[in-house]
Amino acid sequence: MSCSLLVAALLAVSVPALAGSFAGSSAGASSAGSSASSGSTSGDDKVVLQARDDAASFIASEGRIRGAQLEAALRYLREHDPDARQASDLALAQAILAR
Amino acid sequence: MPRRLRPVRGGANQVCMGMQLRPCARGWLAVLFLGLWPLGAAHAAQGTRPAQATQAIPVSQTGRLQPAASVANDDARFASQALIDTVVALLPEQLVSALPGSTEVAWRSLPQDVHGRSLGGTIWIDAALLPGWQQITREHAGALTPAAVPFNTSELATNKVDVGANVSLHDEADAAARLRRASPAVRALIHELAHRYDRSRAGGVSRDPRFLDLAGWPRKPWAWGGRGDRNGMTDRSPDAYELSKPSEYFAVNLEWYLLDPGYACRRPAMARYLAERLGAAPIAGHPCTRDQVFAVPASEQGGSEWLSVDPARVYAVDYLLAEGNEQAMSRWGHSMLRLVICAPGRAPGPDCRLDLAHHRVLSFRAFVGDVQISSWRGLTGSYPSRLFVLPLDQVIEEYTRTELRGLQSIPLDLSQQEISELVERAAQLHWSYDGRYYFISNNCAVETWRLLQDSVPRLTALPLRGITPNGLAQRLARAGVADASVLDDHELASRQGYYFEPLSARFDTLFAAAKSSLALPQADALEWLEASPQARAIWLEQGDLRTSAALLVLEEAALRRQELRVRDVLKRRILGESDAQALQARGQVQQWLREAEFLSRPAALSSVGYGLPQLDERAQLQQHLTTLAARQQDGDRAMRELARRWLPEVELRNLEAAEANVAVIGERVRTLAAQ
Repeated sequence: MSCSLLVAALLAVSVPALAGSFAGSSAGASSAGSSASSGSTSGDDKVVLQARDDAASFIASEGRIRGAQLEAALRYLREHDPDARQASDLALAQAILAR
Repeated sequence: MPRRLRPVRGGANQVCMGMQLRPCARGWLAVLFLGLWPLGAAHAAQGTRPAQATQAIPVSQTGRLQPAASVANDDARFASQALIDTVVALLPEQLVSALPGSTEVAWRSLPQDVHGRSLGGTIWIDAALLPGWQQITREHAGALTPAAVPFNTSELATNKVDVGANVSLHDEADAAARLRRASPAVRALIHELAHRYDRSRAGGVSRDPRFLDLAGWPRKPWAWGGRGDRNGMTDRSPDAYELSKPSEYFAVNLEWYLLDPGYACRRPAMARYLAERLGAAPIAGHPCTRDQVFAVPASEQGGSEWLSVDPARVYAVDYLLAEGNEQAMSRWGHSMLRLVICAPGRAPGPDCRLDLAHHRVLSFRAFVGDVQISSWRGLTGSYPSRLFVLPLDQVIEEYTRTELRGLQSIPLDLSQQEISELVERAAQLHWSYDGRYYFISNNCAVETWRLLQDSVPRLTALPLRGITPNGLAQRLARAGVADASVLDDHELASRQGYYFEPLSARFDTLFAAAKSSLALPQADALEWLEASPQARAIWLEQGDLRTSAALLVLEEAALRRQELRVRDVLKRRILGESDAQALQARGQVQQWLREAEFLSRPAALSSVGYGLPQLDERAQLQQHLTTLAARQQDGDRAMRELARRWLPEVELRNLEAAEANVAVIGERVRTLAAQ
């Protein structure tokens, strides 16, 4: 029973391609309002890009909503950017939204 | 193409016809009786074949392989001797010593496409293969012992080996050994010996549950057990005849195990099993690459990904459960497995859990090549079930944001070796499995359960059998295989990636945050999402960062709702109208889906090789994948145009407005956050 039969028809293969692309962008809703969501994003940027929803939720909830994608991005930034090590979670979440 | 080797037509029936006979002899008597008719029929049909064909040509005694009674010329005797010597040198010690009693090897005319046949104590090889074999033995007298000579499957298939003019003596011996191994007579004798062994007291390989698991005869999910009789491992098979029944699978695979140095790289689990049962193959195998490759089709950006997974970099495997929702098709959840792959440079350990961008998900899905899902076809197995490999981020997006379903990621207690064998099995399924989806008896939970226990045999002893994703999660936890305690602390689970909450769980908090600084007229989040995009737009450029961040997430959610709605409208329009235009549109969509299906079946990318793709095939597969993906992007563009044409004006306007809202609020958040 169950499972993702559903998805198959149009979703799995490409809902975003079909539905999200009337305005010319095939990235659809996953763009999270970001201009940087083309298919050519590098793996590194992806970590930060994928955290956009979580970062926005974090800031809107004043730190109460902490999703794993945000945690992943915070750790990534601190691992790769010496300045980020000193910055607070809130400041980094804001930096993610500024991208 | 691989030859079909049929030992005895109709010999499938293991009928016990003589109760007084020793166990190993019973099957043989049955085989003898059942074999007579088709042989006779074949002779009647081929009356022009020389009478000599039925004359048994003796071969000399080598171990347990013995000469037939009658006598023929010296040339034939020499060739037959060479055949036995060649094959015996290729057999593992355990197999030779376990062969029952004495076996005669002889030549006779067999029906077309049948190269060997076992009758009673005699193995018959098709007399038509004798001249070819004699030529090989005459021209290349040396090298009876197997050497580590690399040869590839195309050589096997075409029976041609290129021997250069200026080869050293060693090379010549190697070439001769290769030629011998590529001979259909050698294959035929191995094939028949496999049957003989299989039916012996020591044999019974084709009835061994572990063998059947690895070969692909699926266990059924019912409490009373049983197995399906369709083997779904149909793609990239070396010889489709193996799929006809388990005994043929064993015989065909023994041929390849003993003759192809690449077998252990292409079917590693079966090679390990055969080595354990029969002993190592004397022929030296190729070194195998450690990584497994996957063709990941059509990511959300419409591209495709060629994924290489080094099992040593997989820190853990989680049971990934998409929670159910109210829709009938997804009420019981969806079963998946999550590979916790470490980011490059990170030593495997708990830290890898947050390398989300590198994690991949194994998900069995029915592929529906139509605009509409039919429940009836879902019940009756009309949809193919395939193993998809997806980026975790894409799965999070799809379930928690689009479908608004939570994802539970429950760690499985597996050793590193077990993880490695699971990744290997997943690759084997990815490249070969083309199952049939059955809504109840072969759904994602059943497939996932099977993948787990086929890779990790110790799990077969546990009561995991069941047909629902929720049920499998519970049974895994009860059996101590899955540790569901990671979910106990909801907040911690969310932070550490054991739980991905549905975006809808945040709606109320986000709406309250927005409403605290803006006089929004809507009472709650749902009302806000239901409001027209134009009505929402007027509030988007008024808030501070916190408010705008809340509105950003809500606007995206609204856009996703809009997109789902559009999909529904399109479906109804294209399906609902019966004029020529609607029919044409439906045809276009179906064509587009068919092409997408092509991408969902990686084996369709190339017909070269069998089993797991090896280094030389990978480059070609990758190239085909790129070409196809580009073609699909063209198809996607055409679909977009089609959708625009078919969408009612008002829906198109709403969709564009919702997209514009996301762009506006996205830009505002970016600007405010940068200050």
